Amino acid sequence: MSGVTDDIAVIVETSALTQRFGSTVALASLDVQMRPGVTGLVGANGAGKTTLLHALLGLRTPTSGSSTVLGLDPLSQGATLRAKVGFAPERDVLPDEMRAVDFVRHLAQVRGLPRSEARTRASDSLWLVGLGEERTRTLGTMSTGQRQRVKLAQAIASDPQLVLLDEPTSGLDPTQRSEMLNLIGEISNEHSVSVVLSSHLLEEVERVCDHVVALDAGRLVASGPLAELLGDGEGITLELVDVAEPTGSVDLVENTLRGAGVEVQRVGTTLRLGGGDRDELCDRARDAVAEAGARIRRLETRRRTLADLFEATAV
Amino acid sequence: MSETTDVEAPAAQAAEGAAQILDQRYRPYSGPRRGLAGAMRAVVASSVRFTLGLGRPARHKFLPWLAVVIALVPAVVFVGIATVLDIDLVSEQILPDYHQYYGFIQVALFFFCGIVVPEILVVDRRNGMLPLYLSTPLRRWSYLVSKSMAVAVTLAVITVGPLLFLLVAYTIEGSGPDGPGDWLVVLGQILVAGVAIAATITAASLAISSLTDRRAFAAIGVILLLLGSRLVTGVLVEIAELDARLYAFNLSDIGAALKDRIYGVDPSGAFDGGESSPGDRISELSTMFVLAANAAWVLAGTAVVWWRYRRIEGGK
Repeated sequence: MSGVTDDIAVIVETSALTQRFGSTVALASLDVQMRPGVTGLVGANGAGKTTLLHALLGLRTPTSGSSTVLGLDPLSQGATLRAKVGFAPERDVLPDEMRAVDFVRHLAQVRGLPRSEARTRASDSLWLVGLGEERTRTLGTMSTGQRQRVKLAQAIASDPQLVLLDEPTSGLDPTQRSEMLNLIGEISNEHSVSVVLSSHLLEEVERVCDHVVALDAGRLVASGPLAELLGDGEGITLELVDVAEPTGSVDLVENTLRGAGVEVQRVGTTLRLGGGDRDELCDRARDAVAEAGARIRRLETRRRTLADLFEATAV
Repeated sequence: MSETTDVEAPAAQAAEGAAQILDQRYRPYSGPRRGLAGAMRAVVASSVRFTLGLGRPARHKFLPWLAVVIALVPAVVFVGIATVLDIDLVSEQILPDYHQYYGFIQVALFFFCGIVVPEILVVDRRNGMLPLYLSTPLRRWSYLVSKSMAVAVTLAVITVGPLLFLLVAYTIEGSGPDGPGDWLVVLGQILVAGVAIAATITAASLAISSLTDRRAFAAIGVILLLLGSRLVTGVLVEIAELDARLYAFNLSDIGAALKDRIYGVDPSGAFDGGESSPGDRISELSTMFVLAANAAWVLAGTAVVWWRYRRIEGGK
């Protein structure tokens, strides 16, 4: 999925990273590796996503454990690291009176770019996020979607190797969210910038990310390539039409499949089939339906989702 | 990967010298990066512009430039008088000497530190820019040093600018110091006194600004501290006749007392010292005591700001 160069095999690595706030454990001994590309940091509100991002930036000193980002220690090499990393916080951080281009240019300068280069790249970044025509508007007059794009523009203006985006689709409508996700994918694929995208929306992460780190209450739920975590498929879903003749056709199909050793979960007229190769399950379903004289309303491969992952690991 | 410049016009047109559309697009940057020093310079420059209202709506320009006008206009008027009347008005004690001019500056300084300076710290915390700054090469200490430098540069417009103008104008007009040696001495006094008179008030102003996210509360706090400390110490020393060292707590005048020591003058002289409260007993203080009191204010203010910013969560 990603076009990111792999000259750094691991962009983020944590080892037993723990962060406590009093009696609250925000991060519980996290061992995580993130690779180049788009990594989704997923979890419910309060799962520890923002805390982890701040720890990776060196904004917080962890209670214990360690981390490296782009091969650098955020605590002892923080200034060097943060010059290579762009960050867009969740909170609305835009000074209302400033023009978008001035805001982006200023932060590019603070991240180390010379003034003239910062000015050029501020405009380029705003064009990239679709705000080229709006770049001289003051931030206070912009919509939520535009302000989210400005935050993304300031994060990428200094040409970082890694961008950390904390809930970048917060407050956006579905169309804006889709556009933002497309932008994030474009930044990674076409401009070789690795992205860590924090979100509590699982479908966002599934749509745009190569890798996933899933957190729940500070614990690591799952970590790895998205395709590996979800797998190619997990059985099939067979929905039947409950016809009058022959009576009990759905029951008949279910019994036939069970008799053939297929794992069946039935909800009404829908049968979730598992326990075998997908093609084999399709063949058995076809035969059972034909034998029972039933009619198929829907037959589809069932794909595992991140939601299944969370459900499976729920305590 | 896109190139720096993509020529989108057809090659045939380009070959004929026709106009080309150059599509400057987002691209990699491999040039130099200026590190922490560059980051601090960027914050200083931005903060100076912000404080003076440059690049901001007109309502934000009014107060800082009013302070500049208060500080500078008397100097322009005095130089104009000296030029028109064509006599040495300074030696004739008709126009104020350099140290006497601080009476005008102090009004502008109080105004500036009470109303304008608090904004320089408060706004970044209120609008959430602080965590964004801390996600760059800046750390808390470098952020605060940058902000303090911005305040120093801005205050120099008020505390040093008018005096330098007077020095140059008096020199041109013929009322200036005698010879290059004296000229350099006066220049040094102007620079050092400019720092001295501003340091305590700035430190206190920044300390109070660090304690609240509301600019109005910070402004009220600074003004109350300036006026209250002057009133209370004046009553205690001049009316209750307690120890004159209590003037160490007089934020309004302890900087001016140090300025008088730098110029080597009796604070009971004309224009500012003698006629202003807290009265003559501040001249009883030794120079070392005055210096220590100023240093204590600066250190205390710095300690409060640092303590406060260590407690502010960078990420929230």
